[in-house]
Amino acid sequence: MQVQDSTVQVMGIDAGGTMTDTFFVRADGRFVVGKAQSNPGDESLAIFNSSEDALAHWNRTVDDVYPELATCVYSGTAMLNRILMRKGLDVGLICNRGFEQIHSMGRALQSYLGYALEDRIHLNTHRYDEPLVPVSRTRGVTERTDVQGKVVIPLREEEVRQAVRELVEVGSQAIVICLLQSHKNEASEQRARDLAIDELQKLKVDIPVFASVDYYPSRKESHRMNTTILEAYGAEPSRQTLKKVSDRFKKHGAKFDLRVMATHGGTISWKAKELARTIVSGPIGGVIGSKLLGEYLGDENIACSDIGGTSFDVALITKGNFAIKSDPDMARLVLSLPLVAMDSVGAGAGSFVRLDPYSKSIKLGPDSAGYRVGTCWPDSGLDTVSVSDCHVVLGYLNPENFLGGAIKLDVQRARDHIKAQIADPLGLSVEDAAAGVIELLDLTLSEYLRANISAKGYNPAEFTCFSYGGAGPVHTYGYTEGVGFKDVVVPAWAAGFSAFGCACADFEYRYDKSVDLGVAQFASDEEKAAACVSLQEAWSELAVKVIEEFVINGYKAEDVMLIPGYKMQYMGQLNDLEIVSPVSTAATADDWNRIIETFETTYGRVYANSARSPELGFSITGAILRGMVVTQKPVLPEDPDAGPTPPKEAYLGTRPFYRHKKWVEATLWKMESLKAGNHIVGPAIIESDATTFVVPDGFETTIDKHRLFHLKEVK
Amino acid sequence: MSSTYTNEQVAHLVDGSLDWETTFRMLSMPKDNSRFQQYIDALQKKVSFKDRIVLPLGPHMHIVQSAKTKQWVIKCDCGHEFCDYRENWKLHAAIYVRDTEEAMTEVYPKLMAPDTQWQVYREYYCPTCGAMHDVEAPTPWYPVIHDFEPDIEAFYKEWVNLPVPERAD
Repeated sequence: MQVQDSTVQVMGIDAGGTMTDTFFVRADGRFVVGKAQSNPGDESLAIFNSSEDALAHWNRTVDDVYPELATCVYSGTAMLNRILMRKGLDVGLICNRGFEQIHSMGRALQSYLGYALEDRIHLNTHRYDEPLVPVSRTRGVTERTDVQGKVVIPLREEEVRQAVRELVEVGSQAIVICLLQSHKNEASEQRARDLAIDELQKLKVDIPVFASVDYYPSRKESHRMNTTILEAYGAEPSRQTLKKVSDRFKKHGAKFDLRVMATHGGTISWKAKELARTIVSGPIGGVIGSKLLGEYLGDENIACSDIGGTSFDVALITKGNFAIKSDPDMARLVLSLPLVAMDSVGAGAGSFVRLDPYSKSIKLGPDSAGYRVGTCWPDSGLDTVSVSDCHVVLGYLNPENFLGGAIKLDVQRARDHIKAQIADPLGLSVEDAAAGVIELLDLTLSEYLRANISAKGYNPAEFTCFSYGGAGPVHTYGYTEGVGFKDVVVPAWAAGFSAFGCACADFEYRYDKSVDLGVAQFASDEEKAAACVSLQEAWSELAVKVIEEFVINGYKAEDVMLIPGYKMQYMGQLNDLEIVSPVSTAATADDWNRIIETFETTYGRVYANSARSPELGFSITGAILRGMVVTQKPVLPEDPDAGPTPPKEAYLGTRPFYRHKKWVEATLWKMESLKAGNHIVGPAIIESDATTFVVPDGFETTIDKHRLFHLKEVK
Repeated sequence: MSSTYTNEQVAHLVDGSLDWETTFRMLSMPKDNSRFQQYIDALQKKVSFKDRIVLPLGPHMHIVQSAKTKQWVIKCDCGHEFCDYRENWKLHAAIYVRDTEEAMTEVYPKLMAPDTQWQVYREYYCPTCGAMHDVEAPTPWYPVIHDFEPDIEAFYKEWVNLPVPERAD
């Protein structure tokens, strides 16, 4: 074995709700995936167990490998769960007098965020969650800044001090200050913040103060307030969780500094000031990983598709870039955070299957069996059929080797349930009923994928589809058939792909600020230069914050590469586009011309050249600054071509497999034993511990030197 | 198909104490075939009279089958009997009409209540226990509204697939 030849450099962690995945990559591109049951009480332990599981493949141990690692990225759902379960700090809120109820009332759409369409239009189901801060810990202070940023009523300073005293009195563990229009003029809010800090010192109370302008100076008051509250409410407790993880790494000899995947697609330190942006991280990893693979393969247009137990997530990479959404919603709150844009439909491999009692039509989800798989697992306690049950009955999944044999599935039990609940009421055989369910799911997903690409004005023929997630490779053929992708790629490590993607992410901070700059098409050079000066001021302000974050981690200002960007739209239009700036500093009319030229090119690409409307003039709505430093990233394996014939030891036999109204014998292959260049013609099923790749008749696949499977329809 | 929910869960639903997650699932999924029977059973347990509940008309009012005569009558939770199920029970209730500004300001702030020349509130109470069974908001001259004349036979036979309870007229 060449086990000791190469050091292990990169580790990725995806701490999900049920399983904690770890992904280790060696300098030669070899990788292992580890899995362990998640442990909400002590995440660090689950990560440790998962690492041991992974490294056992190389006959190595944690104490041996952790000191070798150069970099490690964490992603997880701990922060999100903390918010959903309402287990955060008791935050006190200071807002404008007369607006004390705003946070509790919330935005109307928060009453149905995250719902399936059927429930959105069913008003009875709408419901407001408990607010993060109750009215009893909210105080209003007299102040008003108008929409242009002019102070109309100055801050009554004594009211701030009074509010702080009262909030401390009722037991606040942190104080958030969010005043109207503070993104336009931060003066009043900063004054209130300084007064609050001063008053707390007088009271000898040591609790943090969060002013919205210091964190998320963006327009949209509900979004800004929610985000700042989220920071105070959940970030500190999450930091404690991450510290525990980091401490356990250190105990086992780790020298790297733990980083966390953030919503903007970069990674940040667990010591970062803005931790709220780590609220969603797992699914983003897949998009980042796809971007890196795309660079290897020379594909700049990629459709990323991730199918898990409950949902199907789609993201598009165009011209090598993913889109960013600036006001996403998470945990049923509207927020102002930059988030990698993804679309999601609530149908997955574990979705429950039911018949509508009135129309007799098959209904998938919206709820799912999750980790309980389906009725085919006798211990699940379930008696409603899931998609996995249909897969087991039709021979897609190996009942003896589910999750590497960790649980045994009972085919007969699944058959009985499908017969009673679906097949008999519809007058179908069990096979045809189960196949109908799979066909419906495949159709739902492929329509969703197709619609997602064409609705954004693109042609699927220009895209390569990447398929990953634990259940992805089972469905890849189904949801890509007939869509007409340029290529369809399934990585051998599909099950650990999110963890891999996290390890691929840059160490990158991103700060945003709302600005309002409007310049007419034929403005004078002076006007253009003035706009540049304002934009540059915003960039400089953001640069201070970005560099400050890196300094916390021991980097020097000159190590940091700064990438300015802006959000621009034609004046009066509603949607802006995010652009990486063509100029590193903005000062002159010439700079401005280049800024609008880049915008117009992007606009023409995203929409159409003929839709460009320079006669409206241009407005910049936001300044963006990203800063990054160089980090170690995973390299892909480079295997020698072993020819099209798979080695004998990869052959595992055959299994009956049902599709298109007939049973066929599918050949079985062991994924780990296949070599680069091997060519497999369907019907075939390629199995590994963590995932199953289905290649039905009419399809063929080849594994390339990077251990990526390319799936093709045979003409 | 068997029921998705236990009798206990349906009893919580009736009491308004069912957890939100289950309530949400009930709301968004097609209704179980057995739900009506479970619902009626839960209601039956809450009343002290022996008469069988045929159809609920409101949170505290039901059409019941008299245990003695098998006649169908409208009954309050407390046992007060209003009338035959085909009649308008409101004509047998205690009625309070808010038709002055003074009476309106008891329920709404001044200037935020309707002009009683245009609209009045008619409140219908049980003469025995005083439970409020309904409120109407009609124009002052409008006759008492007969809200609901259910086709119970069709409902039992065609909708919930249950035998129609016996009825003596």
